Amino acid sequence: LPSQQFSALTEVLFRFLTEPKEVERFLTQLSDFATMNKISLGPLKNIVKSILLVPNGALKRNLSSEQVRADFIALGLSEEKASYFAEQWKVNSPTLTRLAVGQTLMINQLIDMEWKFGVTAGSSELEKVGSIFLQLKLVIKKGSQMENVYIELTLPQFYSFLHEMERVKTSLESFS
Amino acid sequence: MAALREGEFAALQSLLKAPSRDAVRQLCQECFSSPPAGLGPLAQRACPGLAAGPEEAEQLVSALHNLTRHVVYHGLTRAEDILCLFPENFHQNLKNLLTKIILENISAWRNEAQASQISLPRLVDMDWRVDIKTSSDSISRMAVPTCLLQLKIQEDVALCGNSPVVSAVTVELSKETLDTMLEGLGRIRDQLSAVANK
Repeated sequence: LPSQQFSALTEVLFRFLTEPKEVERFLTQLSDFATMNKISLGPLKNIVKSILLVPNGALKRNLSSEQVRADFIALGLSEEKASYFAEQWKVNSPTLTRLAVGQTLMINQLIDMEWKFGVTAGSSELEKVGSIFLQLKLVIKKGSQMENVYIELTLPQFYSFLHEMERVKTSLESFS
Repeated sequence: MAALREGEFAALQSLLKAPSRDAVRQLCQECFSSPPAGLGPLAQRACPGLAAGPEEAEQLVSALHNLTRHVVYHGLTRAEDILCLFPENFHQNLKNLLTKIILENISAWRNEAQASQISLPRLVDMDWRVDIKTSSDSISRMAVPTCLLQLKIQEDVALCGNSPVVSAVTVELSKETLDTMLEGLGRIRDQLSAVANK
């Protein structure tokens, strides 16, 4: 492949890697590339599949761009193209790493939190109450389903919860 | 409005047969705390102490329950308010004793009523820990801190009676989620202080 087209193809590849959800767009861009350069789509797809294996493997093994370049050269790519790809890799690796970390297993991930608070005006046991209540709704992802958890807290509980969460934040910050 | 019906005040006079003031006090507390369904067995337990028949005991227990609950419901805190609930011809000493006992217990009873009112499941405890993720199947080396939060939740007290059901929910929070959560909690705190200062 002439270098200009190679860089165009690399661009398409990296755009897909950084936005893995845009599968349709990727496929459209690939077929556009194929028609523009008069390459048939089938073999192009196979080549692209094997090329994609390299960045994924590189991520898993935390390879530096030097190592990526060496890998490509070992696979038979010209030095110029390998260097170009390695450069692109260096530029994109923070995004790719972040994506990989984001995909890491999370147990019962907290997705959303809704809240409301109000005053209890009266009840069947007490005509006038006037106490404050706080209600939280936590949306938790359990496997592939969402579960809603409803909790009520008294005011002192709320303040102690807030205090604890601030301690967690300090702890998390000291580790990152 | 009348706290009790005519006959109920008459039933209260059975207390005159009680062995001691403490027995009366004890009975008042049990009658308040018992739900309507528990009054029957309570009456039966009270029979021997009062030398009263089952029917008399039942009427007494029911009357005491209604009287104490009425006072708590309306939030009566002054002796005069409670004294004027009783009819003219009610036994003076008994009236004073009952008023005294009620006044002693009123705030504890109020708290009890508030603690047992219906609510969404309540938070009873929370624990947390911070882990550092060092590797996974998608990336072999990383150092990502994450938080695990465990909330112990108790189901509605009224439903569980004496055996509360406590369930635990463990949630994982990333740093971003925690920051967003803290933002939300901060907003709640600000709104709470705005309400408190009004």
